Amino acid sequence: MLGELEQIVLLAVLRVGDGAYGVPVHDEIVRLARRDLTLGTVYKTLSRLEEKGLVRSFEGDPTPQRGGRRTRCFAVTTAGRKSLESTFATLRRMAVGLDVGLEPT
Amino acid sequence: MMPLPHRLLERYLPSTDADAIVGDLIERRVTGLRLWREAAVALWHFRDRTPRQGDLMATFLADLRLALRLLGRAPTFTATAVLTLGVAIGAATAIFSVANPVILRPLPYDRPDRVVVVWERERNGTRSTVGFATVRDYITRASTLASAAALGTWQPTLLEGTESEQLSGLRVSSAYFSTLGVRPALGRDFRADEDVAGAPRVLILSHALWQRRFGSDSSIVGRSVSIAGTPMTVVGVMPEGFDDVTTPGVQIWRILGYAVTDPYACRTCRHLRMVARLRDGVTLERAQSDLTKIHGAIVAENPKEYATVGAEVVPLQKEVTRQFRPAILALGVAVALMLVIAIANVANLQLARLVRRDEEFAIRTALGASSPRLSRQLLTEALVVAVLGGLAGVGVAALALPALVRQLPPELPRLSAIHLDVEALGLVAAVVLALTVVVGLVPRRRQRTDSIADHLRAGRRLAGTRQSAVRGGLVIAELAFALMLLVGAGLLARSVVQLLDVDKGFDANNLLTLQISSVGPRYEDDASVFQYHDRVRDAVRNLPGVVSVGVVSQLPLGGNLDNYGVVAQDKPLANPEEAPSGDRYVASADYLTTMGIRVIEGRAFTEAEGRDTTNLVALVSEALAARLWPGESAIGKRIRMGGDQRPFRTVIGVTANVRHSGLDATVTQQFYVPERQWFFSDNQEVLVVRTTGDASAMVGAVRRAIREIDPTQPILKMAAMDDVIAASTAQRRLALTLFAFFAIASILLAVAGIYGVLAGNVAERTREIGLRAALGATPRNILSLVVGQGARLAVAGLALGLFGAFALTRSLRALLFGVGPHDPATLAVATLLLLATTLVACLVPAMRAVRVDPSQAFRAD
Repeated sequence: MLGELEQIVLLAVLRVGDGAYGVPVHDEIVRLARRDLTLGTVYKTLSRLEEKGLVRSFEGDPTPQRGGRRTRCFAVTTAGRKSLESTFATLRRMAVGLDVGLEPT
Repeated sequence: MMPLPHRLLERYLPSTDADAIVGDLIERRVTGLRLWREAAVALWHFRDRTPRQGDLMATFLADLRLALRLLGRAPTFTATAVLTLGVAIGAATAIFSVANPVILRPLPYDRPDRVVVVWERERNGTRSTVGFATVRDYITRASTLASAAALGTWQPTLLEGTESEQLSGLRVSSAYFSTLGVRPALGRDFRADEDVAGAPRVLILSHALWQRRFGSDSSIVGRSVSIAGTPMTVVGVMPEGFDDVTTPGVQIWRILGYAVTDPYACRTCRHLRMVARLRDGVTLERAQSDLTKIHGAIVAENPKEYATVGAEVVPLQKEVTRQFRPAILALGVAVALMLVIAIANVANLQLARLVRRDEEFAIRTALGASSPRLSRQLLTEALVVAVLGGLAGVGVAALALPALVRQLPPELPRLSAIHLDVEALGLVAAVVLALTVVVGLVPRRRQRTDSIADHLRAGRRLAGTRQSAVRGGLVIAELAFALMLLVGAGLLARSVVQLLDVDKGFDANNLLTLQISSVGPRYEDDASVFQYHDRVRDAVRNLPGVVSVGVVSQLPLGGNLDNYGVVAQDKPLANPEEAPSGDRYVASADYLTTMGIRVIEGRAFTEAEGRDTTNLVALVSEALAARLWPGESAIGKRIRMGGDQRPFRTVIGVTANVRHSGLDATVTQQFYVPERQWFFSDNQEVLVVRTTGDASAMVGAVRRAIREIDPTQPILKMAAMDDVIAASTAQRRLALTLFAFFAIASILLAVAGIYGVLAGNVAERTREIGLRAALGATPRNILSLVVGQGARLAVAGLALGLFGAFALTRSLRALLFGVGPHDPATLAVATLLLLATTLVACLVPAMRAVRVDPSQAFRAD
């Protein structure tokens, strides 16, 4: 079972897709989750997910608008997807018959 | 320039994390507060990944463990260093804790810088207390004063039930407390309508008196208490911690309540002090010139009533600390010197220890410890020593401060405000840090310059010259400071000896003194007072061990100031205020013989003459006789005291001068009058008792004898005259005791320092000395080699110390008596003493050097 922050960050990485790194992931979170997280918190969560094997990271290319600094890109692993699926499955089972908008479709 | 948050992130985060986050921050153009928040959160989240920081902490803890282990293995070094620091820091903290409230911190009143004391100024520049009419004129005419008040001493006897107690009090104008800027905590302040003659007599109590005598009962306000049989009403209680600095230790205040027509309210009745609060924006100088101008006008209006020529305005703070400033500042200097010596000595000990650890460091370096790592190690050890020393210092201060406070003269202002304070502890912390840097870094400098290879290759190599220079310098400084302190102590000791050697004019050995009272309804008329004195004298005289007894109105050196203008019949004065003043000694016939005061010319009055109230007689002191009738005999001349309504008295004798106001004060003039011939009776008198043996052994018997006559009268200030005299020199003796203590401690430290340097040097130079011996150096050559080195250090230190002593002793000037600040004898003796001590300290290592066996010296490795 994933923590709330972990779910949000994992989903954000999935939404951004290829070459997901801090800025776009953070944008997705602000836009959809309406959470004003700091970048540090996002990276901290990503590091924890990486330790659990749910995402993997690789260095991206440096760009001039980043002052020549490399990005650190993230991608969700198979284990990560499975973990999300199982989390949502659990939530759905718990929500059956409660009419909270999480019924199986 | 990169913003600081970016730099912090790059410094403390692993580079991939830093690149990712800082890159994002730049891409997003995050700035300002938001940027700081981002950086702080990132640093916090990744704190376990910051290698430098984590490493630093771990290193520190490892260093700390190692330091504790190493220090534990060198208990002598550790104990010596910690004790040295503890004593020095403790002494410094204690002295600072005293100096801070007593002379440095502003008075705890409302805007204390506005409060001043006003005096009249005599023609010779000395200042004088003020008469009531003058105070009134000052107050009504001055435009620079916001408020002002007069105060006079008052010694009431509080009668509560069967118990009577003598209190220290003040009579004050109604504006007194508002002028100081304090208000009663309970009840109310005095009112202006109470400050008139005939108004009800009202009192305000100190918090301590209220607590002690009235059990903190708040219903005391409005109640009447008996002051020597007269009912007076308590209207207020001052707050706890309020200290009336004009009169330290005062317990009770009564409204002044004078009328201008009162006989004691005249212009010449100068027995009051005056405090005032300057108007906002008025400078001291303006108030000074305002009051001086007013004084001039008053004198012009009343030319026959003033001998004073102006007014003097002094800030209250300056006034109350005037007497004690020199002693406390001198002690501050002494303590600072000792602190420096202590730090130098610990540095020296540390250096000596480092010599023995050369190989340890060389090996650790060879095993891969970096130079900064070793510096940190040394710094940590120094820090541990400093912190332990600081803790010991707080302990020493906590023990020493109460002992010091007990030694302080009770008239010191704000004694109750003395406690170990935060600022004093701040001083400790500052010293600890300074020490850490000095001890931790200076030796390491030397370490760094030598290469590791040198150490390992040389084995027990020849002396490290640079280190020797540092240690030599420290020893020179220690000797210099020790000499300064020794000279200070020597000058103070000579001052005290000179002071006690002063001809007091009476014999203080085997003399008991005490204050007796005759207050209350039983003693309303003079006759019963005199009768009581006679009965007390008879009873005490008949005690075994008592030679004779006398009664007198005030005691020489007892701190009293009771004097009268003395006018000679044959020398009329245009202005009676210009009459010379004489200390008033109203005495019984046996007073002079009991005190051992010599009659130089003529004779003393007899018991029978004293009882005769028609033929008035008097004795005058040599100084008064010479002042009134220079070149003439005083016998048969007639004098008058207390104004022109009083009768003239015939001088029948001239007495030796008595030191009245202090052994160091100028000689004053005295007159003696039989008690029944004075125009009023004193209800507080001094009894002097000449004993065959130790005076203080008679205390119990004398007290019992007086109690049998009237148990309700308080007996006060019972003390051997020797102790009274000692008390009058208390300030100097305190300074002397502490200076001597600091001097001895610093000499020990300096001697230990020079011994340490030479002993270490001989140990390092064993091979060289052995080689010299093998090449034919005689023991005498080797002896002079070592002693010569010590002597060079000693001479340098002492020469420097003499210069320092010249500077230091100038700050002692106010405490010296009968000896100049650059007294050559004291300087010479102190220098020779220290030189001799130093040479003795050289001898032990020198003898060791002589005994070096060449064959052994080279086998050592």
